[in-house]
Amino acid sequence: MIVEFTLNGEKVKYDVRPDKRVLDFFRDELGLTGPKEACGEGECGACTIIVDGLNVHSCLMLAAELDGKDVWTIEGLKGPGEKLHPIQEAFVEAGAIQCGFCTPGMVMSTKVLLDNNPSPTREEIKKALEGNLCRCTGYYKIIEAVELAAEKLKGDG
Amino acid sequence: MGFDVFLPESEDELMTLLMRENAKIMAGGTDLLVRIRAGRINPDKIISLSKIQGMNEITDVGDRIRVGCRVTHSMALNSNVLKEHSPIMLMALKEIGSPQIRNRGTIVGNVVNASPAGDSLIPLYLSNAKVVIHGPKGERKLPIEEFIKGPGKTALSMGEFVRAVEFEKSGSWHPLFYKVGQRTAMAIAIASLGLLIKGDNLRIAFGSVAPTVVRAYKAERYFKRSNGIITVMDEFMERCLEYVSPIDDIRASAWYRKEVIKNLLKSAFDFWRKKVL
Ligand SMILES: Cc1cc2nc3c(=O)[nH]c(=O)nc-3n(C[C@H](O)[C@H](O)[C@H](O)COP(=O)(O)OP(=O)(O)OC[C@H]3O[C@@H](n4cnc5c(N)ncnc54)[C@H](O)[C@@H]3O)c2cc1C
Ligand code: FES
Ligand code: FES
Repeated sequence: MIVEFTLNGEKVKYDVRPDKRVLDFFRDELGLTGPKEACGEGECGACTIIVDGLNVHSCLMLAAELDGKDVWTIEGLKGPGEKLHPIQEAFVEAGAIQCGFCTPGMVMSTKVLLDNNPSPTREEIKKALEGNLCRCTGYYKIIEAVELAAEKLKGDG
Repeated sequence: MGFDVFLPESEDELMTLLMRENAKIMAGGTDLLVRIRAGRINPDKIISLSKIQGMNEITDVGDRIRVGCRVTHSMALNSNVLKEHSPIMLMALKEIGSPQIRNRGTIVGNVVNASPAGDSLIPLYLSNAKVVIHGPKGERKLPIEEFIKGPGKTALSMGEFVRAVEFEKSGSWHPLFYKVGQRTAMAIAIASLGLLIKGDNLRIAFGSVAPTVVRAYKAERYFKRSNGIITVMDEFMERCLEYVSPIDDIRASAWYRKEVIKNLLKSAFDFWRKKVL
């Protein structure tokens, strides 16, 4: 089945197996390994991508549903020049990454939060990231990273 | 896995596809895809609603609100109609899953899933919801209590789908919603309680403590007979517990669930006393 959609800002067209999960299609066929699989059932958020401005699980979406959508994976995030995106920089600087397995999902959920709410409170940050689990950091540094990212993005504007 | 996927764009196309054998509708897929992957169901056709035009209305229809079958929890949480006229619905939807689940999962999917733990079901039972069904013979409406027959069982027949739910406005009632789970985010309820109070009228429903969500009608009538002044909590509690028949499962024991319900009732009462007295 042919699907046409926008992927990380570029129009693309692929012949997909419609019952493939978006997660598998991206990782195995497009080599986009940013979205990770841990639970495969909507619990952990490691597979989070952005579809039409909303963070969703790529493990619970079928390739057939991509048609007509605006889709972003972490591979599409870029900062000015060749630099990392300010959210990615903030995660590095705040020490919010240990093994890094949860990071792409965390960053994508953070992106949606900050796009809609440039100055979130701590409570709002916790609520926005409640679907992203991390086994390493204990979360505090992740929350600090989101606060730092918010500062950086405001600085840019 | 291994199934065909269809993406109808109109209701007519959808109706034709629904006549095929072993086909399942998919809205957000947050229940369906998990069950398929776990091998609990094995449909050979999935009919996705993602390309249908419309069917995502949240409309004010007099004393009721209508929510279409493509309305996600996130869309509902942003709706001014629901904010004004069904605060209890918003309280329940906020407790569902995570942002990612709320961005994809639908209220109608929650209804058809017919889980006793379905969070949106509590406000729907409390608001005397009707399920709007479309099928080969046209439209029919069933009260939610008749639509949901048991865990995972509904009154839908071959070729039918749920077009929308309609439920009473409750903006003038005082809402209360409690959910106890293993952790605050994401967890499926071990027990939940929803309440609407207005003067000497009370409506009360429980989740996860019986095969379906239940309204404790005897307790509601007792409250009314007492003119909304309950001095003996035990009498009211007894009438509630008649509806509670919990089971032991991996999340909690039946005994624990009953204790949780008693404690939730006590908290609800304390809250209500402070509010009213
Ligand atoms: C990690 C996780 C956490 C969750 N947390 C919660 C929670 O806290 N509370 C809660 O209540 N639920 C929770 N759920 C369950 C689920 O997200 C909800 O039940 C959701 O509302 C289902 O909606 P959906 O659109 O995704 O349904 P789908 O998966 O698309 O469909 C569910 C069922 O309904 C049928 N169906 C869907 N639409 C129609 C229609 N229009 N007509 C006829 N049949 C239809 C499908 O065939 C299927 O059988 C959770 C799920 C996951 C994976
Ligand atoms: S892999 Fe998708 S939520 Fe865990
Ligand atoms: S850094 Fe290891 S899971 Fe989050």
